[in-house]
Amino acid sequence: MKYLIEKFGKINTSVLFLCIIFLILELIGHRYGETSIEDILFFPAFFGYLSCIIIFKLGVSLRSFLMKDEDYYDK
Amino acid sequence: MISSFPPGLIMIIGALLIPFLPHIIRQIYMMVLILVSAYALTLGFGLHYKIEIMDIQFIIFQSDALTLPFAIIFHIAAILNVIYGAHEKDWNQHVAIMSYSGAAIAAVHAGDLLTLFVWWEATAFTSVFLILASKTQRSYKSAFRYILIQVGSGMFLLAGAILLISETGNAEFKTFDINSLYGQLIFIAFGIKAAFPLLNGWLQDSYPEASEIGTVALSTFTTKLAIFCFAKSFAGTEILIIIGAIMTFYPIFFAVIENDLRRVLTYSLNNQLGFMIVAIGIGTELAINGAVAHAFAHILYKGLLFMGMGAVLYRVGTCKASELGGLFKFMPITAICTIIGAISISAFPLFSGFVAKSLIMSALGKEGLVFVYFMLLFASAGVLHHSGIKIPFFAFFAHESGIKTKEAPLNMIIAMIIASALCILIGVFPSYFYEVLPHQIQYQPYDFSHVVGQLQLLTFAAFAFICLWHFKIYPPELNSTVLNSDWIYRKMIPGILLPLLGLISDINKKIEQFIVFIFISIKRFFSDTMIKNKVFDREVGQDTLIVVQLFIILLIFIFVWKIYL
Repeated sequence: MKYLIEKFGKINTSVLFLCIIFLILELIGHRYGETSIEDILFFPAFFGYLSCIIIFKLGVSLRSFLMKDEDYYDK
Repeated sequence: MISSFPPGLIMIIGALLIPFLPHIIRQIYMMVLILVSAYALTLGFGLHYKIEIMDIQFIIFQSDALTLPFAIIFHIAAILNVIYGAHEKDWNQHVAIMSYSGAAIAAVHAGDLLTLFVWWEATAFTSVFLILASKTQRSYKSAFRYILIQVGSGMFLLAGAILLISETGNAEFKTFDINSLYGQLIFIAFGIKAAFPLLNGWLQDSYPEASEIGTVALSTFTTKLAIFCFAKSFAGTEILIIIGAIMTFYPIFFAVIENDLRRVLTYSLNNQLGFMIVAIGIGTELAINGAVAHAFAHILYKGLLFMGMGAVLYRVGTCKASELGGLFKFMPITAICTIIGAISISAFPLFSGFVAKSLIMSALGKEGLVFVYFMLLFASAGVLHHSGIKIPFFAFFAHESGIKTKEAPLNMIIAMIIASALCILIGVFPSYFYEVLPHQIQYQPYDFSHVVGQLQLLTFAAFAFICLWHFKIYPPELNSTVLNSDWIYRKMIPGILLPLLGLISDINKKIEQFIVFIFISIKRFFSDTMIKNKVFDREVGQDTLIVVQLFIILLIFIFVWKIYL
């Protein structure tokens, strides 16, 4: 635990623990979704994690052609 | 008597007195104006006031179950704006905000398209002063573009209204058929103000250029007025589901790479409007409630986020992520309020975003729109990324920027605390909130599945961000301009049009030179053949002249003979 906090920081470790708690919660109760795909175990967790990574990757790849100099419109 | 006075109108008329009042009295006066305007809401539903000019009916004040929630939140937002801007001694912005809020409130109560048109344009002409208030070269240019587009939207509305009158004999503000021409014109008018894809450039262009209090006001009224109009006139129009889904989707990527945090919020605004548009497109009672609830909650939490960034801008002078960081220890209250706004917009349980967004997601699930549902779910993770984490993280934490400042002024803090409290109250007591919505339905947002599913989605999305940041995969924010749809009219059209105009001008010059050359040649020919030592030369003898005259007479004779004989 101490090692994790040292390596990862207090806030980050707290978020990690929250993630674990919410996964355990699903095992305790019965979670169902608005659609049948969501009923897959830990689906929201996977979806949330992957979505964030995809958004980041796509966003960064857009930098090359959407990002211009700050004074681009003033030139 | 006061209650039958159209809401909003008193604020517009009353704003004329603002320049003549001393600062503190002015603030109290503005609060009184808003409260008097809000008193008219107690009159209940129905048609309360109309006038007739030249056989045309103007329905100035009518209210129903849809107008009420918008009227309530617009009044609350107007009060928050007055509190938030209380430190500002310049009367210009107060006049603009008061009349702008009044025009938006009046527009909500319009019962016909011509009255709506008047207030529609009034919102444009009053709000532009909030962009000009920054007094920078960029803001002047941006304000010019803003007013052109807003007035352009009004022109579509007017054209639609005129066509509607010519076809039906009246311009009642009601449900319109998207397949009719007038319906399409009105749809485009609303779509411009709602910042539809490719029509959204004005939003990201102008809002971040406004003053710190101006942006808070701007984020409230214009786009939400368009949402109200769509909910009133185009509920259940299926194309809105597709447009809305696109709106939720693409701004997230722009928000990820944008450096200016107020501009990030405008992309986020665009994305949130998408949720509302999707819900209106679905058109069921649950979905319309979702759209209205989302607009209501969104005004509060987006206003709160803009207030937080406005406070940072006011104290530090910049809102660029690349220049900010570590402000938490100097502005802890602003930071906490901004975090509450960020948690609300991310739709964490017990906050307003959750109880509003759940309605839309449930409506989508009930209608079986699985693909759109997952697009919105994906967008929800995006909201957490850019508004939930990026905004507070880069402003108040991230790295040590070396900036030393102090907490926001007291009035700003009060406004932010009230907005934060409302975000939490709505989240904790959703049943009271749902009572304000247009349709009375039974809905429970807090069940095990909803709460656990949402918490998993958000915490794991947050964990993904943490991993990216901790392992230094997340690239540093850079001073830059991110190209948006406004590029079309700021760069592409001038880029094509200016050379084209140059080419046309060159061709015109060449043609002109050619014509001049032809005339000179003819002139020279006549000069050479007729004058220089020829028939009209002074040196020529009389007999030559007689021959010429006889020849001319002969020609006239032939001409007359040919015509008359």
